[in-house]
Amino acid sequence: MVTGRAAPPAPDRAPDPAALATKGLTKAYGDLVALEPIDLVIPDGQRLVLVGHNGSGKTTLLRMAAGLLEPSDGSVEVFGSPAGSDDARAVLSYLPDSPVLYDDLSVLEHIEYTCRLHDAEGWEDRAVGLLTDLHLTERADDLPSRFSRGLRQKTAIVLALIRPFGLLLVDEPFVGLDPPGREAFVELMDDAADAGATIVVATHQLEYVAKADRCVALRDGAVVYDGPPGQVDVLSLVG
Amino acid sequence: MAATVEEISFDRAAALTLADLRRARRKRRTAQLDMAEAFYRVYITAIVLGIAVWLLSGVVGDQRLGASAVAKVASRGPQVVGAVIGAGFAVGLRSGGRGGPLVVEAAEVRHVLLSPVTRVVALRRPALRQLRFGAAVGVGGGALAGLLAYRRLPGGFPAWIACGALVGGIALPAGLGLAMLVSGRRLGRVIGGVLAAAVVGWSAADLVARTSTSPATFLGDVALWPLRFRVAGLLGVGLGAVVAAAGLMVVGGISIEAAERRASLVGQIRFAATLRDLRTVVVLRRQLAQEQPRQRPWFRMPRSIAYPLVPPPRDATPGTERGWRRRHLPLWRRGWHGIARFPGVRFLRMALLGAVAGACTVGAYRGTTPLFLVAGGALYVAALDAVEPLAQEVDHPDRWDSYAVERGVLLLRQIGPSIVLMVLVAGVGVLTAVVVAGGNILAAQIGAVMLVPAALAGAAGATISVVQGAPAAFSSTDSLLPPEAAGARAIGRIIIPPAVAVVGVAPVLAARSPSHLAGPAGAAGSVVAPVLLVVALVALWIRYRDAGRAWFKAAMDEAGATRKASAAGGAGHSGRTPGQ
Repeated sequence: MVTGRAAPPAPDRAPDPAALATKGLTKAYGDLVALEPIDLVIPDGQRLVLVGHNGSGKTTLLRMAAGLLEPSDGSVEVFGSPAGSDDARAVLSYLPDSPVLYDDLSVLEHIEYTCRLHDAEGWEDRAVGLLTDLHLTERADDLPSRFSRGLRQKTAIVLALIRPFGLLLVDEPFVGLDPPGREAFVELMDDAADAGATIVVATHQLEYVAKADRCVALRDGAVVYDGPPGQVDVLSLVG
Repeated sequence: MAATVEEISFDRAAALTLADLRRARRKRRTAQLDMAEAFYRVYITAIVLGIAVWLLSGVVGDQRLGASAVAKVASRGPQVVGAVIGAGFAVGLRSGGRGGPLVVEAAEVRHVLLSPVTRVVALRRPALRQLRFGAAVGVGGGALAGLLAYRRLPGGFPAWIACGALVGGIALPAGLGLAMLVSGRRLGRVIGGVLAAAVVGWSAADLVARTSTSPATFLGDVALWPLRFRVAGLLGVGLGAVVAAAGLMVVGGISIEAAERRASLVGQIRFAATLRDLRTVVVLRRQLAQEQPRQRPWFRMPRSIAYPLVPPPRDATPGTERGWRRRHLPLWRRGWHGIARFPGVRFLRMALLGAVAGACTVGAYRGTTPLFLVAGGALYVAALDAVEPLAQEVDHPDRWDSYAVERGVLLLRQIGPSIVLMVLVAGVGVLTAVVVAGGNILAAQIGAVMLVPAALAGAAGATISVVQGAPAAFSSTDSLLPPEAAGARAIGRIIIPPAVAVVGVAPVLAARSPSHLAGPAGAAGSVVAPVLLVVALVALWIRYRDAGRAWFKAAMDEAGATRKASAAGGAGHSGRTPGQ
């Protein structure tokens, strides 16, 4: 049984603005346009799935929203604050496709410092729950540098979920996870959504698409579909 | 907008958390540290530094300068030192334009810089550490320079050491501060480059006009204080300290995109450097500088280049020769296609390196012998750029492996366009040498003699580096050698490529000792043949390297098989013995 699913309390934020809003958001590397101008508004509490073939611009969009990439043009706001600003970073949690962890900190130390940097309260109980859910309890004192890809991904999931957030951006989360790990992570995302968090997932995992409220398909950096997931042949969009 | 009480208390808590985090990591690293290994590194570093100081002392000599020479050093020295410091500032400004100088770990970018902790709080300590380290290196280097100056110039020993240390201890942090200012204010590559050019230009103007107007020259004044006190030096010290402090204040504004890119690439560069994999270091450094091939080539190849005139084949059937004709040479064309897509900054760098080589050659001719090493080194670095088309093919060996032509032959055919490019680079060097020598016709004559050998030797050295690639993790050859020989082989891999390039500049040393029959240019020409012989040996090594390795492997396999057979025979024999 999955335990400790209580999602962390979302930090204080203005009620009105959309969780994520882009306006003419563009990314180009010299002559190569990675993302055409995109206008996207994701209301608070929505669960959105981003689909598209490799190189379609999903990761670029998520990384710009997380503040890791700078737009070539246009703007992106997180709950009304510019992406990358202190306020935006306080409410946005980003789970990248490849986990990046310290080589010399144990899983528990990662958790402790992440929570302290995000001023999270009462994180110890949630940490126990998350570690149990993802079957990491016995490895909590180990260094992730000695972990397999899947265990590192699970550690990254714990770090993304342990801190307070109102918007969760997830990039290809299922890569490297075993079936129980996938199931546990999907349930944890369900919990976060039930607690009111906005969730944006970029994935090729088609079974997850049905769980979303909205599907946005990208092709060659442009939005080719934006609507309910059940009304389109997702396979044809993914290409 | 003023920070609120909550923000201030959060920043204080965050600063404490960061301090705890770094303490915990330091503690773990210290626990894992192998003290014997650490002492060994200190021991090796001390030996290397000792040798470097000894060599430099030998180069500088200890003969006291005469009064006129001292007066010349006192009047021109600040400008010369200022030009060197200005060049250092320019490097800092360019680095800042690309997001430097800070290198933050990838995990630090993801976990700390993406947290709500104010970035200036998150980055202040690493920035301070970098400034501190820069100051320490600067103080050490400056003190050493002061020590060397003391050996030949009048003035007190403590004064030279103190002034050198002060200049180094200010100049390096100031350069880092400039980089932080440019990256913290996100001025970008173009503005960073323009500022770098302006700083160099300002120092160069001081040098040419013999004035003291730029901050770098002010710091040069401080370096020469033991000879002549100039109050402007105080201004240089003050400005340097202000720039370093200003960089520290704005460091929080750095681009996270650049920080993440640098985190990844610098880590890889350090790893490649520990493996002595020069090619990977070159490629990664270009990525760090965002040096991409051009989408559109600079030029379309003229027919005369794309299809050069070649003589008829030697094995042509008698009666069918039709004299010289244009022929399609794919490797020749491939080389030019690669060069035509070089980014402009690469051509500029090669030209600058050519100019440095030319200027150093003049210095070497006039008596500062070690400058010929610098000249050869500059040509070697330029050639590492010039042989890029060849390096691309070596990096992607599948295509060549599918040809029914030996790899050594392909390598030699591919190198042609790079040699032409190197001749142009050496030509820039000759022009520079003529200008530096004040339009002296002798400089042009010696340059003309050295042009082709220097270009060939530079290209040969770079080609060795590219062709030999990174050292293998396990080498069957090394495993057969005694440790001393394997170590010497490893050192040879590093030293030989630049040494071959340096050999190309050797004629300038010969030019210093003209005979009665031949003038300096003739004396330089007398050394051209040995240089060309070295180049020919390199060409032979490239041509037959694979064949030699294959022969060695076959010989080893055969020896191994023989050993096994004799062992099996011996075992069979002894197996029968007990029954007898």
